[in-house]
Amino acid sequence: MDLSQAIRDKARELLETGAVKCVIGYETGTDGINARPAFIYEAAEVDRLIFDETCGHNLATYLLHHRAENIAVVVKPCDSRAINLLHGEHQIERDKVYIIGVVCPGVVGRQWGVKGRQLLPACQACTDRNPVVYDYLVGEPVAEGAPAPAPPLPEVEDLERMPPEERCQFWRREFERCIRCYACRQACPGCQCTECFVERLEPEWVGIRIDAPQNWMWHTIRAFHLAGRCIECQACRRACPVDIRLDLLNHKLAWEVAQLFNFRPGMTAEALFPLATFVRDEKLGVGEWASS
Amino acid sequence: MSYQPRIIGFLCNWCSYAGADMAGTSRMSYPPNIRIIRVPCTGRLDPLFVAKAFQEGADGVLVAGCHPGDCHYAEGNYHARRRYALLHLLLEFLGIEPERIRLEWVSASEGKRFTQLVTDFTEQVARLGPCQAVGGQS
Amino acid sequence: MARIGVFICHCGSNIAGTVDIPRVVAEAQKLPMVVHAEDNEYTCSEVGQRSLREAIQEHRLNRVVIGACSPRMHENTFRNTVASAGLNPYLLEMANLREHASWVHGDQREAATVKAIDLIRAAVAKVARAQPLFARQIGVTKRALVIGGGIAGIQCALDIANAGFEVVLVERTPSIGGRMAQLDKTFPTLDCSACILTPKMVEVGQHPRIRLLTYAEVKEVRGFVGNFEADILQKARHVDHDKCLGCGICWQKCPARAPSEFDMGVGQRTAIYIPFAQAVPGKPVIDREHCRYQQYLEWQRAGAEGKKPPECRICEKLCPVGAIDWEQRDEMITEEFGAIVVATGYKTFDHSVYGEYGGGRYPDVITSLQLERLMSASGPTLGEVTRPSDGQPPKTVVFISCVGSRDDSVGRPYCSKVCCMYLAKQSIMLKEHDPEVQSYIFYIDIRAGGKNYEEFVRRAQEEAGTVYIRGRVSKTYPEKGKLIVWGEDSLMGRPVQIAADLVVLATGIEPSEGAIELAQTLHISYDVHSFLVEAHPKLRPVETMTDGVFLAGTAMGPMDIPDSVAQGSAAAAKVCGLLSKDTLALEPMVANVNAVKCVGCLLCQQVCPFKAIDTETLRDGRIVVRINEGLCKGCGLCVSACRPGAMNLRGFSNEQLLAQVKALTR
Repeated sequence: MDLSQAIRDKARELLETGAVKCVIGYETGTDGINARPAFIYEAAEVDRLIFDETCGHNLATYLLHHRAENIAVVVKPCDSRAINLLHGEHQIERDKVYIIGVVCPGVVGRQWGVKGRQLLPACQACTDRNPVVYDYLVGEPVAEGAPAPAPPLPEVEDLERMPPEERCQFWRREFERCIRCYACRQACPGCQCTECFVERLEPEWVGIRIDAPQNWMWHTIRAFHLAGRCIECQACRRACPVDIRLDLLNHKLAWEVAQLFNFRPGMTAEALFPLATFVRDEKLGVGEWASS
Repeated sequence: MSYQPRIIGFLCNWCSYAGADMAGTSRMSYPPNIRIIRVPCTGRLDPLFVAKAFQEGADGVLVAGCHPGDCHYAEGNYHARRRYALLHLLLEFLGIEPERIRLEWVSASEGKRFTQLVTDFTEQVARLGPCQAVGGQS
Repeated sequence: MARIGVFICHCGSNIAGTVDIPRVVAEAQKLPMVVHAEDNEYTCSEVGQRSLREAIQEHRLNRVVIGACSPRMHENTFRNTVASAGLNPYLLEMANLREHASWVHGDQREAATVKAIDLIRAAVAKVARAQPLFARQIGVTKRALVIGGGIAGIQCALDIANAGFEVVLVERTPSIGGRMAQLDKTFPTLDCSACILTPKMVEVGQHPRIRLLTYAEVKEVRGFVGNFEADILQKARHVDHDKCLGCGICWQKCPARAPSEFDMGVGQRTAIYIPFAQAVPGKPVIDREHCRYQQYLEWQRAGAEGKKPPECRICEKLCPVGAIDWEQRDEMITEEFGAIVVATGYKTFDHSVYGEYGGGRYPDVITSLQLERLMSASGPTLGEVTRPSDGQPPKTVVFISCVGSRDDSVGRPYCSKVCCMYLAKQSIMLKEHDPEVQSYIFYIDIRAGGKNYEEFVRRAQEEAGTVYIRGRVSKTYPEKGKLIVWGEDSLMGRPVQIAADLVVLATGIEPSEGAIELAQTLHISYDVHSFLVEAHPKLRPVETMTDGVFLAGTAMGPMDIPDSVAQGSAAAAKVCGLLSKDTLALEPMVANVNAVKCVGCLLCQQVCPFKAIDTETLRDGRIVVRINEGLCKGCGLCVSACRPGAMNLRGFSNEQLLAQVKALTR
């Protein structure tokens, strides 16, 4: 059955029975090409819902703004990991959320004019086609091997090979473009703070000025706050109006967390965050200097 | 005068700060570049303070605490080790030479070790020159 | 508005000899919010402190920076000084110009001076953001909980009670006495163990300030130093101890039998029983599992099918005071305490992993604690040592040491410390019981460190004729009524074969069942072997990292009776020191939460080593965290884990550290 139709049928059932107050899904946007989030409160409206390769948004983020009521949400596999993350961090009550999981064919970046561009690189490399948590599954689950972290993106490896000065030039060019609109933060399911550090005068982690050092600080803190938590849904990159390669920063940390701590966030709601625990005699490459 | 790097040292109160005191009491000598900030525990120090120090213009940052197993609060340095392992990789990826950041263990009796560590680290940072990664002063 | 005063100490020539003090003072005066700067020959001297006090008043200072020695040296001195001038003692910051500048850069006047100015600037930036802090006073419940009624717990309870404080002593089994009560004699004096122990047990039982709860377990502990609350489960005894006279008619007539735990299974007890004759309390409990009436009730509950078991109830019929109470149920007792001592003792290693020794397979392979019961005059054989298989007195006895000690392959790399000595003792005792006995001890090393211990081992060798063979046993098997023990004499480099009547395994010491669960509810740490961990192995041997919780005896590692007793007394001294105070001052430099910023992710709760973080539900339904200031030690792990910046550390706040970073990178 058509994925869109399956979602509509389920949404209608949930709204008609009163199981949920709202279904968060996708609908065709005003440009007629790209999907946008849709908040469906009436059963009569469910035919607006669609699912196709332009449905990039991570709708789990919106659960942060609808904590009080029963909500159904359409999630792709990476978005489903965000649900586990939010659940594990006590940001949602699992029994208030009805998860419509979609077996994901991969999504494309924002489309200009016509549909039909390539899948995002992250989606091309992705091995997780089935949601990790759902109440209702749309689509036929794909047979998968043991979930393994995707290998580092070639662009991350290219950056790692550069001498430090070149790498720092690369990031300077990226961060210089930042207009500090914080769309990346708004789109991110991992950014839950009621008041972001960046908007605080005391302690002043990031100065109000929009310049290279302040932008550097903003992006460094943002990346570190997501280290071991980012589920690489690409929502931040998609939201960025100046196309900063936040995905590379996030991917680097996700990769290192997987290497160091054998951990992928969001695979279960119960998993212990690696920075909240430790192993006494682990070797992590720091604090190992032997004085003569 | 030759290039003098700016180095910030975050030392835990119980072991490394006392180790630095011991270096002084024993009249040992090390390069004067390091500026020490006392913290209760390496686990207190959000690694982002290290990033902040670089953004504010530091050329090197040293974090030192009790040896694993000796933490005054039992577990703080184990947590610090994980956090710093990750921060290290992040800052390196952003173009800050990994040699500019050190997390090491110095006990209250290791004045000599502290002296060696600071000497070693100061020379290491001096060889790299000023840290340019953050993009100049604001 | 902050009005900061800066005081630069010459420390004689210690600082002034290297650092250009007038320049530092001049630079200090230029710093924002600094309204006064001066230098003193010795700020810590009477003159210096007076000058400090006067300046605070004259210049209406509300923050003070002192550039002198290490705060580890004089921070407390100066806190008291500023407090005596009416200032909150936490509105003081020290810059370490001596240990961190003049002493280590003695030959670099310029660099040391520049550094001193930087350190002063950072201290000014930090103190400007300091908040007045107040040590909260909390009351102390003047009652101690001692967990475990072995010799360590007994000694501890007696010492605390004799000092005038109330004690509740909780023991899991029906009687106090512990392992020491099971021993026949003690090394190296060969004192009768029961003879020296039972008077102490009686004293506990009769002490007006000790409340003894036997057949009870501590299930949960909440609270913090001076203010603990413990849930203690009193298991149903089915005997009303208020009525019972301990006459003994019930356990004499009870027809049901069970292996005796006290006799380590080499003897039997009845279903209504006291574990041993001198038990305290000398009143019985009914073991539901083996009681015939309970079995009858069980049969009824299961539908009364099959053969009807006897209803029994003999004890009830015979009891002259009607103390048998079938309706008694397990009961949870909640009590408040100011201090807790954990003295939960040890159990012995399960030797069955060593198949080559034949333990469990051959009846005449027994453990040293079983031999102890066989040698005891009050034991199942009334002190007659006999082979379990045929009741014959053994003539050749082989002891195997280090069974579950000093062996990494069974996860027990540590030495159990007491085995070498009790093996020597048992070989001497066997010789005394029966001069025809020949003992052989297979050992790795003889560890006899202790007063008169080495001499005692000599005595076993020379007087009792015990043969010590250095080496391990490779197999044991029965042959013609004997146990053939094959071993290696590693000193002679040749195999040894002994036809033994009895083989005794020196099983090692490991923590009692339930030690981990108890440690978890008390929030104290335990090592890989589940032994409880002291706060410092040298200097704080009976304290834990949780204030108000102390340790004594083998719960923290193998030790012998005198060490356990010493620790019991040491822990008691610590407890009395604590309970003698009416109030405790809580450390004010602890974490605090801004509930508005808290998003309730509870990461702080996961990282807190002291379990000092609770949650609370606000009126709007949000769940946020709350610091239990009695438990918080101010390590700040939660602060660095808090992404929303809701958590902060008093005295080392994010604002202060950031200000220092900025001041030093300027």
